[in-house]
Amino acid sequence: MEGQLKFSARSEGNAVVVDVTGQIDMGTSPALRKALLESLKGTERLAINLTEVKYIDSSGIASLLEVLQDAKKSKKRIILFGLTAAVLQVLQLTRLTRVFEIHETELQALEA
Amino acid sequence: MPSHPRFLPVVRATVDELCGTYGLSKEECVGVRLAVDEALANVIRHAYKNRHDQAIEFKCIVNDQQMEFTLIDQGEPPDLTKICAGPMDDVALSGRGTHLIKAVMDEMSYTQVSEGNQLKLVKRLHALKAIADGGNPGIVPDSK
Repeated sequence: MEGQLKFSARSEGNAVVVDVTGQIDMGTSPALRKALLESLKGTERLAINLTEVKYIDSSGIASLLEVLQDAKKSKKRIILFGLTAAVLQVLQLTRLTRVFEIHETELQALEA
Repeated sequence: MPSHPRFLPVVRATVDELCGTYGLSKEECVGVRLAVDEALANVIRHAYKNRHDQAIEFKCIVNDQQMEFTLIDQGEPPDLTKICAGPMDDVALSGRGTHLIKAVMDEMSYTQVSEGNQLKLVKRLHALKAIADGGNPGIVPDSK
């Protein structure tokens, strides 16, 4: 189903990468938020792969922000990479492109 | 449409196709799709307090000058004093939806009508490149 969201986590060096696929909206963002917060517990650096995310709304942005805030409290890092044009546009509209650490590729995200 | 989030992707896909058909740029399509989705999500979240068994009347009318989206619900009326009440704070976890709608759409208005709470969103078209039968502007029937 087009509206479904899928995500999985994997370890890459000293980071955990969460691969997200689908659309992040009010129906799917709670599950994503929960999964990201859980993944954050096990690492100092969480890289979120948004290459296959075709849509994100304000609830999705809020979920990412919550995870970011949680990370900052425990001096951890959140890195977004592979942003599609649509996702980048939403971050620009919400003036959050400078709040998140954003990279184009996974390699750049893991080496940053 | 029912006030269930699982119908949001359906509306988004329809709006996206419609915007493309009427010649909006890719960026405009993304924006309008987002604005309509945010508006519907607000109705589900605030007017219907996350009840998923209510009805939202969603209508789109297009002419050579604009796309007009109308949402009507029978839930709690919006508190207009709280909508876009302050600047979009960098780290606020909520309250962005209406700011996004205002950033994208050319007009946004709330009215009380006999059917309930009505929200109207308007996007002006710069150049209509409609693919329509007989050259007539497309009018999408009401859908619930």
